[in-house]
Amino acid sequence: MALVELKRVAKTYQGQSGPVHGLTDVDLTINRGEFLCVVGPSGCGKTTLLNVIAGFEAPTGGEVLVNDVRVSGPSPSRFVIFQEPALYPWLNVFQNVVFGLRMAGVEPAVQHAKGMELLETVHLARFANAWVTELSGGMKQRVALARALAMDPDVLLMDEPFAALDAQTRDMLHEAVEEVWQATGKTIVFVTHNVREAVRLGTRVILMAAQGGGILREYPIDLPRNRYLEDLEVVTIASKIRDDLRREVLRGAEDGGGDGR
Amino acid sequence: MAGDQRRDRFRRGAVRTAFLLLLICIWQGLSSAGIWNEIIFPAPREVVLALASGFGDGTLPAAVLASLVRLGIGYGISLAIGIPLGLLLGRIRLLDDTVGSLAIGLQALPSICWLPLAVLWFGLSEAAMQFVIIMGSLMAVTLTVRDGVRTIPTLYLRAAPILGATGWRFYRYVLFPASFPSVVTGAKLGWTFAWRSLMAAELLYVTSGIGSTLMTGRELHDMALVVAAMLIIVGIGLITDRLLFRMGEEFVHRRWGVG
Ligand SMILES: Nc1ncnc2c1ncn2[C@@H]1O[C@H](COP(=O)(O)OP(=O)(O)OP(=O)(O)O)[C@@H](O)[C@H]1O
Ligand SMILES: [Mg+2]
Repeated sequence: MALVELKRVAKTYQGQSGPVHGLTDVDLTINRGEFLCVVGPSGCGKTTLLNVIAGFEAPTGGEVLVNDVRVSGPSPSRFVIFQEPALYPWLNVFQNVVFGLRMAGVEPAVQHAKGMELLETVHLARFANAWVTELSGGMKQRVALARALAMDPDVLLMDEPFAALDAQTRDMLHEAVEEVWQATGKTIVFVTHNVREAVRLGTRVILMAAQGGGILREYPIDLPRNRYLEDLEVVTIASKIRDDLRREVLRGAEDGGGDGR
Repeated sequence: MAGDQRRDRFRRGAVRTAFLLLLICIWQGLSSAGIWNEIIFPAPREVVLALASGFGDGTLPAAVLASLVRLGIGYGISLAIGIPLGLLLGRIRLLDDTVGSLAIGLQALPSICWLPLAVLWFGLSEAAMQFVIIMGSLMAVTLTVRDGVRTIPTLYLRAAPILGATGWRFYRYVLFPASFPSVVTGAKLGWTFAWRSLMAAELLYVTSGIGSTLMTGRELHDMALVVAAMLIIVGIGLITDRLLFRMGEEFVHRRWGVG
């Protein structure tokens, strides 16, 4: 049941000082309903991976298939939640959530029902009429989640969505995402710096090699739900991944000493 | 909080009024001292009388109205062309390299320089005046909106296609509102340019309008009328700034949290 397939996908950027490898020969299959978490050293190509799946950037080699169709550009069926919530400040919370439905020409009554239901899901129904500037970071990210769910995408791509949030807010959002995933069976690709977060959420974690080196290792996570960041099993698996990651960071630093990042 | 703010506003208003009164006193003092001839340096009283008689016989309101109608049409056309054009220039490279550079070039030319050609093309008509106004403000509106489009956060633009905002919907529902802060700035700048172009044109080209009133005053050696016309011009500038643009800017500030 492969939903997303990457076949020898490569992405090379033309940097100031010669070509920069964002991704090299990545082969990856993401199954329907999977919660895939991606970790790796900074600059390893995690964002590039998401951008290529989302269709924001065309790969320079290989191809990306979603539902057996080659990705050729961005589409609502592959929705991205960015690190910054990217809500539209000229719209209120409700209008942001239903913006995509409005663009699709959905009837106002249906928009209203769907929008309020989604705001209930992320526990923000009270704030339907608030302006975006009146929300905290965590609330904004929950609105972004509701806005994404409104599009009913095949796959939800999340790029370090909670990196800028405090620990309590992040815990709450983990629960919100997990609830949504369990309720809807959506396929999620979740990029993070935080290995424990990856183990807490994912059904599978992949570790990427430094500097666009592609996928280094995979770790299936067969722990029962609902997990907590402090669970012993979570911590154990996370520390093993973290050791591998640390080794990779060091190796990357030796190899590409001139990278300066 | 609200009380503090109100008191602060009141205090600033009082300071402003006091300053204005002081200026008038200095003006009165200078004219009483009789350093300059009454004819070239009118006393406040003369100016007030000129204003009163102008409003009494209806010539001043008629002049103001004529100017404002002219301005409204010319400025309206500038906005109607400049805003969409600016949005397009900000998005389409080819258009920016061609039309955009032309706009930058034309902006270097004070719009009053168009008057001789405008009179040739359109005759001694309203159209000639409006052409000068449009040439004065169109570039400012267009280029400000264009620069605004360039500074829209990338994420707003990235979110558009995945939300299904493509084609004209992208322009209407994402690009236009996202660049709204710069549309307000551009509209304000354009208004200033339009107003100045209009005054220059009315001074050179005798017709109705408040700029022409000023010229008439000069020809009649009626400096009180000249100063009265100047005061009205300042007044109109202040009122539009306060009513129109201040409101727009506060709206932008509340919603976008910038500007
Ligand atoms: N637009 C671009 N132009 C040139 N090089 C780029 C561009 N985008 C990314 N890169 C390079 O590609 C590599 C991978 O970048 P990417 O943003 O995917 O890393 P990342 O894993 O998301 O890093 P981080 O964890 O810091 O977000 C980096 O070396 C980066 O410098
Ligand atoms: Mg990144």
